[in-house]
Amino acid sequence: MDFIADGFRRGAQLVATGDAEVFGIALLSFRVAVVATILSCFIGIPVGFVVGTTRFWGRRAAITALNTMLAFPTVVVGLLVWGLLARGGPLGGMGLLYTWWAIVIAEVVLAVPIAAALTAAAVQGIDPRVRRTAMTLGAGPWRVHWTVAREARYALGAAVVVAFGRVLAEVGAAMIVGGNIRHHTRTLTTAVALATSQGDFALAMAVGLVLISIALTVNVLLQMLQARGDAAGA
Amino acid sequence: MLQARNLTQRRAGRSVIDIAELDLPPGTGTAIVGPNGSGKSTLLRLLAFVDTPTGGSLTFEGRPIRTRADRKTARRAVTLVEQHPLLFDVTVQANLRYPLALRRLDPSEIDRRIAASLEALGAAHLRHRPARALSGGETQRVALARALALQPRLLLLDEPLSAADRSATALLAAALGQLLAEGTTVCFTSHQLEDAYRWADRVVALTDGRITGVTPENLFRTDLPAGYGSKTVRAGPLELIVVTDLTGPATVLIPPDDIVVSTQRFESSARNQFAGKIIRLADDGHGRVSLTVDVGTDLIVRITPAALADLGLGLGSEVMLSVKAMAVQVI
Repeated sequence: MDFIADGFRRGAQLVATGDAEVFGIALLSFRVAVVATILSCFIGIPVGFVVGTTRFWGRRAAITALNTMLAFPTVVVGLLVWGLLARGGPLGGMGLLYTWWAIVIAEVVLAVPIAAALTAAAVQGIDPRVRRTAMTLGAGPWRVHWTVAREARYALGAAVVVAFGRVLAEVGAAMIVGGNIRHHTRTLTTAVALATSQGDFALAMAVGLVLISIALTVNVLLQMLQARGDAAGA
Repeated sequence: MLQARNLTQRRAGRSVIDIAELDLPPGTGTAIVGPNGSGKSTLLRLLAFVDTPTGGSLTFEGRPIRTRADRKTARRAVTLVEQHPLLFDVTVQANLRYPLALRRLDPSEIDRRIAASLEALGAAHLRHRPARALSGGETQRVALARALALQPRLLLLDEPLSAADRSATALLAAALGQLLAEGTTVCFTSHQLEDAYRWADRVVALTDGRITGVTPENLFRTDLPAGYGSKTVRAGPLELIVVTDLTGPATVLIPPDDIVVSTQRFESSARNQFAGKIIRLADDGHGRVSLTVDVGTDLIVRITPAALADLGLGLGSEVMLSVKAMAVQVI
């Protein structure tokens, strides 16, 4: 028990004193997570919008595929992206493997289905009268879509936050395609894994604390969004 | 203003609208009356260019409306207020601004129109409220204010007078009267024939998606059991004895002139007797009085002013209504 308490204390100390190693890792992780979230929402939200609002052949299959991809094991995604980016792979020439962009790519693959599935659910839950009302007030097709999105804004915000949480907490794929290289591709999660296996419990704890505080902040934001949504819906 | 020819709409292989001819002349008020499920709302959505008809043609202000682009252009001049209107999840003011901003109006003009139309519907105090926090009646008033603010050339209203509360009904009726007086082309639906006659220049009766000559009073959708002769059917909340050899879905009509009003139950040959209370009285100006009697549903009865006086009837009087099974028409 002392061992854990001691690790926690020294970890907190590292955070409090602004340890360069810890903050370097946190910054990189944050950058990767933000870029991956933006890219995955950029792709996933429109896909979810189409799946959620339009009727087309194969729509049910698309929904099933999206839901299956939600449960995709992250190490398998890491493996596939590694295969794509490795020297002998189709995109090997780009030299992206073991760079933070490789992690971004793997995490986009993981987060797009989340953004798409949550967006589809959000817009499906929107009252069908929203489309009709926008049309009767003279809105063109794009404006109608925009209006539906605006009505679903709290749920869409939640989709972004959940995607961000997934990307930030991801470890398997980041380890495989990033390689956990110090100052280059070491993220919060891979650093915890490494420090633990090296027996540096204090460093692992410090990084873990940063990770938890980011996750906590994200969840508080999510709850605030939902509370606003509930208040507005009442 | 708007002409429909051979307009059809099919849903799940079933015809829901089949109208040979319908004109909404400029500056007139047209009421579409019919029982619930007769296709009134479906028809309005076609006339509002929100839904695409399965067949037939629509001409708006002399231009045929065929393509998606035509409909989009026409929708700038037409608007529809639904029976249960939806306000966007923003403030009341932002709801009113929405169609005006779409039309790229001047900000000062937008502000003026928002203020004026909210004022007209007694909703000025709601301007900064979140729209989804309003009551049913308030929502209906704000939705109509939003439609008025965009000054449509054709205004379509679905059951505008069936508001959630009485004060809203009065305000909506006043606004409707004002619009008609100003010469806006208005088309509204109602299941109350009296409202229709009161506000509209013309009344169109709709039954099963078709325009009929039948006055749509005391009409009920029902399902006739198999067999011949006299049978018991459900007409809304009522059990009604009718005489028909038809079976399956049908509409039954209790002619208002064939209903006998009495103050007490009496022995007679009339097979259908309903106890109720008079909730509305109207003199039609042609020597007849229309009573609306609540017998679980509203039934319209027409009697002479003399009969009304003899029986000493007034608002709230408890009455018995009797109808012969033979008098009930099956359509």
